[in-house]
Amino acid sequence: MAPNGTPAKRPRLAGVVTSYKKLLHPQQVIDRFLDGYGWHGTYHRPAMDMVSLYVDQHGEGDLFKERADRHPGMKLCSSIEEALTLGTGKLAVDGVVVVAEHGVYPLSPNGIMMRPHYEFFEQITKVFRASGRSVPYFNDKELSWNWDWSKKMVDVSHELNFPLQGGSSLAVTWRVPSVEFPLGAVTKEAVSVGYGGMTSYDFHGLETIQCMVERRKGGESGVEWIETYQGDRFWKAHQDGVWSQALVKSALSRSATLRPGDPTFTNIFPTIEQMKAMVPEPLAYHYKHRDGLISTMILMNGMVRDFTFAATIEGQAKPFSTQMYLPMPDGRTTLASFFSPLVHNAEEMFLTGKSQYPIERTLLTSGLLIEGVDCARKGLQRLETPNLAAVTYQPNPKSTFWRS
Amino acid sequence: MLTRRRFVGYSALSSSMLAYPSLLHSAFGQTSSAQRPIRLAILGSTYRRGSDMQTIADRFLTGFPYEGGWHMPNVKVASVYVDERIRKASAASNEFELAVTGRARRRQQGPPAQGPAAPADPKRAPDERWEPIAPSSEEQGLTNDLSPERARQFAFRLCHNIPEALRCGGDRIAVDAVLTIVEQCNDFPYATNDKAQVLLPQYDFFEQCAQVFETEKHSVPYFNHKQLSFSFSEAEAMVKAAERLKFPLMAGSSMPVTWRLPDVDVPLGARVQEAVMVGVGGLGTMDFDALEALQCMLERRKGGETGVKSVQFLQGDDVWAAGQAGRWSKELLSSALSRSDTPMGLTMLDGRNQDLVGDGVLPQLVKDPAAYCIEYTDGTKGTLLMLNGAIHDFNISARLAGQEMVSTQFFMPPTPNETYSACLAAKIEQLYEERKAPYPVQRTLLTTGLLEAFLNSRHRLNQRLETPHLAVNYQPPTESQYARS
Repeated sequence: MAPNGTPAKRPRLAGVVTSYKKLLHPQQVIDRFLDGYGWHGTYHRPAMDMVSLYVDQHGEGDLFKERADRHPGMKLCSSIEEALTLGTGKLAVDGVVVVAEHGVYPLSPNGIMMRPHYEFFEQITKVFRASGRSVPYFNDKELSWNWDWSKKMVDVSHELNFPLQGGSSLAVTWRVPSVEFPLGAVTKEAVSVGYGGMTSYDFHGLETIQCMVERRKGGESGVEWIETYQGDRFWKAHQDGVWSQALVKSALSRSATLRPGDPTFTNIFPTIEQMKAMVPEPLAYHYKHRDGLISTMILMNGMVRDFTFAATIEGQAKPFSTQMYLPMPDGRTTLASFFSPLVHNAEEMFLTGKSQYPIERTLLTSGLLIEGVDCARKGLQRLETPNLAAVTYQPNPKSTFWRS
Repeated sequence: MLTRRRFVGYSALSSSMLAYPSLLHSAFGQTSSAQRPIRLAILGSTYRRGSDMQTIADRFLTGFPYEGGWHMPNVKVASVYVDERIRKASAASNEFELAVTGRARRRQQGPPAQGPAAPADPKRAPDERWEPIAPSSEEQGLTNDLSPERARQFAFRLCHNIPEALRCGGDRIAVDAVLTIVEQCNDFPYATNDKAQVLLPQYDFFEQCAQVFETEKHSVPYFNHKQLSFSFSEAEAMVKAAERLKFPLMAGSSMPVTWRLPDVDVPLGARVQEAVMVGVGGLGTMDFDALEALQCMLERRKGGETGVKSVQFLQGDDVWAAGQAGRWSKELLSSALSRSDTPMGLTMLDGRNQDLVGDGVLPQLVKDPAAYCIEYTDGTKGTLLMLNGAIHDFNISARLAGQEMVSTQFFMPPTPNETYSACLAAKIEQLYEERKAPYPVQRTLLTTGLLEAFLNSRHRLNQRLETPHLAVNYQPPTESQYARS
C-alpha cells in the first residue's frame, strides 16, 4: 500500500496502540488504514499511508507482524518516539493515530482501567514540542481515566495548535432511522439506553447522548451535577419518574435486540417486573446541564444489546428517537463496521487539518464517566461537578454520522 | 407423488374444542380505541416460536416497535387457523383404525393415563370438562405449538377450518381483514416436488376465503405473506379473483420494507441500466425475499415495471464465467459487497476488511454459487447472486444512466426480535385501515413468477427460458415504502 515513490501529498501516519489482536480496537482502526473498507458504495482505500506502528503490549494472538509483512511500508517501532520520528530525530509523520482501548493495565482506586491515553499523549507531544511542529491527532474513545490529564490533553492541543479528535464510534455510526438532532432545538430531557457495565460501555452511552444534545439551542453549557443509580435504587428511581419512563420506552422502541421478558414471545415490550428479572445490574448516570437539560445514560445489560436514544423536543408531540446501530461482531456480523465512520472522520481530519467534531464533547463524556463512577464509589446521592460545568462548546453544525 | 391439497376442516373434531373461553386476559391486552377495532382472522401453517406466523401474528396481539413508540394496532384478533394442527390431527389414526390394529385395546390395558380430561382432577372446574375432546398439541406431537396458549391469553377463537375462522363460528363473515402466513412446518412438512418447490398451500387458503367472500358477496382486505404461490398461474388466478371480488390484496416479504443502510432508494423515474443483488440462503427460501428486494428497487425505474423477457439460473463455475463475460457487473457486485457487514474467510480468521471481488477470493469462499439472471422487457438487467460462504446479509447496487450507483444493505435485524417484520406489520395494518394496498400486489405476482421460472430453468439444466407470461406491468408507489422514520 505504501510503496516507494508515494506522492508526497499522501499523508504519512504513525500508529500508537496498546495491543493488536483480533477484534480489539487497534486492529479495527489500524486495519482500516492498511486494508481499506467499504464506504459510500465502493471499496475505499484511504489516501494516506500508515508508515509506522508502536504496539505497547505483545502476546499470544498478536496480528501486527502479519500486517507489517503484508504492508512493508509500515515500520514496526519499539518506542513511540521512533514511530513518530522514524529515526530522523524529529517528527517525520503528518498524523498520529492513537488507539489505547484494550490491553491490560492496572485499575485506578475507583476501578477504572488506567489505559495509557495520557502517557501516549505526553510522549507524542514531547516529539511535537522538540520538533517545533504538531500534526493532527486521533485518539480513540475517551481521553484519560484521570480528569486532570483529560483536561490537560485538550489544553495542550490548543496550546500546540493541533486538531485532536476522538470519542466513541456511537457518535458517528449508522442511525436507524437515519435522523439528526435538529440544530438549535429546545430539549428538556434526553436518555440513552444501552448495555455493558460501569467503566466499559457507559462511555458509549454518554457519547450517544452528547453527540445529539450538543446540537440543542445554545450548544453545550456544561454539567452541574451527576447522580449515579444502581440496583434497587435504580428501579425505584425508574418507577418514581426520576427520569422519564416515556423516553425510556421510546428509546427501547428503537431497539432491535429487546430480550423478550416471556420466553414464548419474540418481540414484546417488557413489564417492570420482567425488566428487573432480566437486568441484575442496572446503571444510570443522571445529570443536569447548566441550561437545565436533564440527561440520563442508562445501561440495561441483559435486556438489550444495542444503544438507543430519545429526547423531548419543544414543539413536537412525540419524542425524538433513534438507534445508534453497531453492527457488532458478536455473531450478528463479522466486521465491526462502526469503525468505518470513525476512521473516515479521522481521514477527513488528516486531509483537511481540521477536527470533524469538537474534542470538548469527548472531554465532557470522559469527565462524566469519571464523576459518575466517583459518585457511586463514594456512595453519594449527588455529586457537584464544577469541572464539567466549565466544559462549554458549540457543535459542528454539519452532521458527521454515517448516512451515505 | 404426494398431493398438496390438504384435507381441511371436515374432521370429526368438535368445533367447540378449540374455541377456548377467555379464561385469561393478557397483561398486554388488546387496545380499545375510539374506533371499533378491526376484527382479524389469522390463517397460517405453524405457530411455533420463531415461525413467521408467530413473529407476525404476535405483533397484532402485543404490539410492535414503530416510529419510536410501542404501537398497539387497532386490531382485535378474532380467530386463528393453524394448518399444522389440523393436518396432524387428521393424519392420526381414527378410532376405527385403532380398534382394528389393536392399539386402542393395548392402550386401555396400560396404566391409567394422567390425561388432561381426567374428571378426578380437583383443579379442573366442572364447566371445563367438555373442553379437551380433541388431542392436545402435546398429544399431536406439536410440542412447540403456541396457539392454544395464545388463544387463552388473548381470547381469540382457535378454528379448525378456514370458513370457520372467517365466520368465527357464526354463519356470516365476522372479520374485517385476513392475514395469511403460510410457511414450511417442522413437525409435519408440506411436500416438495422435484423442482425443489415446497408445495405451500397459499392458493388453497386464498381460494377458500374467496369462496366465502363470493358466497356472501362480502370481501375484506387480504394479506398473503411472501410468495403468492409456488405456481405463477395460481398466483395470477389469485390476483384476478381479488380484482373480480373487489378486495385489496397485498403480498410479499419484509425485505422491501425494512430499514436500509444507508437510507436510499432508486430515484423514481431514474434510468437504470443494471442491478446486482447479493444474498444467501437456499432455493425457494431467502432467494424469494432477495428477488423482492431487487424488484422493489428496479420497479422505480423510468416507465415503471413492464415485465420480464427471459430468465436463466446459473450454478457453480458458470456464475463466475458469466461475470467474466459481463452478464453481470463485477463492479456492481463489489459495490453491493461494500455494504456488507459479514464478509467471511479471512475476516473470520483475524478480523481484517476484505475487498472480496478485487482480491479474487470469492470462488474460494463460495463453493456453490447461484446466479438468477433477469432480462427485463425494457432491456434492464437484474442479477441476484446467492453467495453462501462469502457473506450472510443482503445488499444491492444499481447503476443508473450516467454511471451513478445506488447501493445499500437491506437491514435484517437479528433473532429473536426480527424487527424487520414490524416494518411489514405496519404496512399490513395500513392495508386494513385504508382498505388499499400501500404497494401493488403485481410486484409479488412478478417475483412469484420469477422464482418459479428460475426453478424451471434450473430443472432444465440451467437453460435460458423466455418468459412471455411474465409481462407483468405495473407502476410503483411514488413514495418509498421502506422504513425510514
